[in-house]
Amino acid sequence: MIERIRHAASEAFPGIEMTLTVDGRNIVTVQGECESWNQLVDVGHFLAKQEGVKNVVNEMTVKGLVIPKKDYSQAKADGEAKGVVKETDVVIVGAGVIGCGIARTLAKYDMNVTVVEMSDDVCTGASKANNGNIHPGMAVKPGTLKAKLNIEGNRMYQQWADELNFALDWCGCVAVVTDERLMKGAEMTYKIAVMNGVHEPEVFYSAERALEIEPKLAHRNLDIKGGAFFPSFGQVESYEVVIALAENAADNGVEFMFNTTVADVLREDGQVQGVVTNKGIIKAKHVINCAGIYADEISAMAGDKCYTIHGRKGTLAILDRHSEPEFDRVTMIYDGSHLIQEKKNAESKGGAMCVTTEHQSLLGPSATEVPDKEDNTTTIDDLAYAMGTNLNAATGYKDIIKTFCGVRPADYSEDFVIEMSPITHGFINVGAIQSPGLASAPAIAKMVEEIWLEDVKAAGCEPAVKEDYNPYREARVEFRHMSREEQDQLIAQDPRYGRIICRCEQITEGEILDAINSSVVPTSVDAIKRRTRAGMGRCQGGFCQPKVLEILARELGKEWTEIHLKDAGSRILFEETRQAAKEGGDK
Amino acid sequence: MKKMNFDIAVIGGGPAGLAAAIQARKEGAEKVLVIERDVELGGILQQCIHDGFGLHRFGKRMSGNEYAQEFIDELENTDIEVLLDTMVLEVTRDKVIYACNNKDGMMEIACKAVILAMGCRERTASQIQLMGYRPAGVLTAGSVQRYINMEGYLPGKKAVILGSGDIGLIMARRMTLEGMEVKGVYEVMPSPGGLTRNIVQCLDDYDIPLHLSTTVAKVHGKKRIEGVTVAKLDENRQIIPGTEEYIECDLLVLAVGLIPENELSVGCGIELDERTRGPVLDNHFMTSVPGIFACGNVAVVFDLVDYVSQSGEIAAKGAVAYMNGKLTGGEGTEYVHTVPAGNVNFIVPQKIVKGEECEVQLYMRVKHPDKKAVLEVSEDGQVTQTGRHPFVAPPEMISCTVKATGNADVIVDMKEGK
Repeated sequence: MIERIRHAASEAFPGIEMTLTVDGRNIVTVQGECESWNQLVDVGHFLAKQEGVKNVVNEMTVKGLVIPKKDYSQAKADGEAKGVVKETDVVIVGAGVIGCGIARTLAKYDMNVTVVEMSDDVCTGASKANNGNIHPGMAVKPGTLKAKLNIEGNRMYQQWADELNFALDWCGCVAVVTDERLMKGAEMTYKIAVMNGVHEPEVFYSAERALEIEPKLAHRNLDIKGGAFFPSFGQVESYEVVIALAENAADNGVEFMFNTTVADVLREDGQVQGVVTNKGIIKAKHVINCAGIYADEISAMAGDKCYTIHGRKGTLAILDRHSEPEFDRVTMIYDGSHLIQEKKNAESKGGAMCVTTEHQSLLGPSATEVPDKEDNTTTIDDLAYAMGTNLNAATGYKDIIKTFCGVRPADYSEDFVIEMSPITHGFINVGAIQSPGLASAPAIAKMVEEIWLEDVKAAGCEPAVKEDYNPYREARVEFRHMSREEQDQLIAQDPRYGRIICRCEQITEGEILDAINSSVVPTSVDAIKRRTRAGMGRCQGGFCQPKVLEILARELGKEWTEIHLKDAGSRILFEETRQAAKEGGDK
Repeated sequence: MKKMNFDIAVIGGGPAGLAAAIQARKEGAEKVLVIERDVELGGILQQCIHDGFGLHRFGKRMSGNEYAQEFIDELENTDIEVLLDTMVLEVTRDKVIYACNNKDGMMEIACKAVILAMGCRERTASQIQLMGYRPAGVLTAGSVQRYINMEGYLPGKKAVILGSGDIGLIMARRMTLEGMEVKGVYEVMPSPGGLTRNIVQCLDDYDIPLHLSTTVAKVHGKKRIEGVTVAKLDENRQIIPGTEEYIECDLLVLAVGLIPENELSVGCGIELDERTRGPVLDNHFMTSVPGIFACGNVAVVFDLVDYVSQSGEIAAKGAVAYMNGKLTGGEGTEYVHTVPAGNVNFIVPQKIVKGEECEVQLYMRVKHPDKKAVLEVSEDGQVTQTGRHPFVAPPEMISCTVKATGNADVIVDMKEGK
């Protein structure tokens, strides 16, 4: 096998010296030097596509490019100096939608679950910076783990939404073509959807049907030849999902440790023993790796180098809600020119105009490979790509209220890696969860639960379910969605709901206090934003940031200068002005 | 729900709203209400502790809060009612206001006329397509002003300012006086965005460099800002390759423009002017919804507070006239227009009630800087007045009183200097 791959690689990339090895699991490791980052990524993808290859560990370098690597040595030294600080049953590394979904699923068992997160809050990576699509599963390759979990996850979402009380809009997704030759594409997508088991997909051949599905297409006066429709396309605010999962997990006893970086994985005789973090050593029977863009590094710490994450960033733009979205469903119009864009974005979905559950247009994301996994910079080109997905001619750059960017944790097989490590028993990899990771999250949680359960049972234990386990999370008060009468009654019950803090999104002090008094306490301005929407509006916190900062400082018993925008190192204020310092203490 | 009735309700207790409320009471409105979202009156003036306010109106240099206090004192000697810490959530076309606070709950306030005076907000990083990371330490000039002047905190030590709007210039000086290092002001346009006097008094006097046709191309720093890449722009505002320069800083201040805050106006269907981003107003400063008036920075971003107060008084007179049945407005009313020509970019008010012979106060801005320009006002091909302007520039608003017959459009032409 290795000879065949070597030969193919040397033909595909002449002049690039590669050292290729393959292990018993058919994982190919490659070393050598490339001309550019994109070439390095291409080599990884090429090798992963060779027959029989399970995955690729890409250790190549790029001429003249320093590839940033996270340095764990200080965190490791700090943790080892502190010694064992906790003994628990399960450690989950990473508090994104995958980590929190698994935590919430395992929370029903009578045991101790600890989530460690390097950032200050849940949902600070890819889980917060995506377009919130609950994909139906027609865009994934049949037979892959992704396809299976995407379909399953999509079907499980309504239950999550019902139990956890987050907004979920089954808006459906429709693609229409204005050129008969493009019907082949629609038919192909439909066929894949059927093959994957997508819920009620449809292919149609008339403009009438297109207009029944999305009446607002009528304004366009298009010569529609047909298309495909996927009613099981859903839309969520992804941070709402993660926060709901985390709070419900915490309500059921899961412990969250923030600002906690895993620097090593402890193992003995092929069995995981726990993790070393900057806060000390946490002993555990199982370690579940949901570390997003760092998952490959955590897996390597467990002695299991079986994939490499290459960051693929995506820029998104949100438009002001006054710029009415043109369509109610996610609508794609193919006239031929779109095909080029599709190709460019081949490995990642997205690139459509969506409408958030708060009724704002959300555009993008783009897809650009980056050598630095933490590079979530927006660029003019990526923004132009995102804006290119805008189908509403009446809106444009002037309507943007926020541009942001997330990094997809992709591996070279472009599939999910979910398995009990064959090298370090008790260490479960849940890696390379990029799009459609959000849609797949419930199924991923279930799959990991089964892996864990099987292992525990194999060891002769029968895990008990907690008697007081409660899968429900109460809906938050959302002042902005109430009638005037309801608002009046609410303020009468608790006057703190009468004070509007964020004028753009009409968020009250009461809602901010609800967030602070919840089971997963937000400590930064952005953490409040994700929970309440304060600062998400058109002024982007220009007016409410000082007020939110004041409330946080007051409620958490901190100084103003101690409040951060996001995680450690992002404080907003440095020191008191000379005059304020002289006056002393009037804060 | 608490129900109230007023002759006139003014939304916003800043300089426009205060002047409007006082004037409305003087004009004979008996029940006047000011609704203010902050805990005190004065609006943004309360954080403007620099001087230079009130030169036109009071003939002396005052700080923003001193200027506001003159009006607050006057208002407190009247029976005008004030609701503080109260947010207006909605204004209906029938002139019913829904507002709430933590004492009165939700209030339904029915009025004979409404004056909108909500002011403006600042353009943000995303609105100017600021690229790169989104770390802490990127703040609008007004936010920096609030943190330093009101809350007593420094949000950085080494600042770069993007945009040469007035608040940015004022803050360049303020930050320097607070012991911070201001590395420079970078302006995308080939001419400054702020008043000449502020360039002189806030930058030149403190040796702070102003770089025109230059932008911040990238923000560096994942957690707290560490620096910016600045770059020169060509005449099409595209980055000139090779001119990029890295500047270390821990604060990026954005002074990149103001936007009238018309969310309530849009909510009740008031027609907006694309250029001013404020409501289309008639000579009484009435909006397209009868009985709803607008003044101050919600109508158009002014440069001087004196004009803001003046616009409040015009709107108040209109509101009282409407209340007394002397104005109707709305669909049945015909208008002639004020038409910008030559170097004039826009004019407020945009229209005059047809047949009303009047003296109308016009506020306008030019498109580009010019010297020895001549302003020519004409109706029906007849020049009705001219004025000489030794120097004009977009940041400096031009205000003039024009006699109109109400029978024809008023063409306002700023002719190029010779």
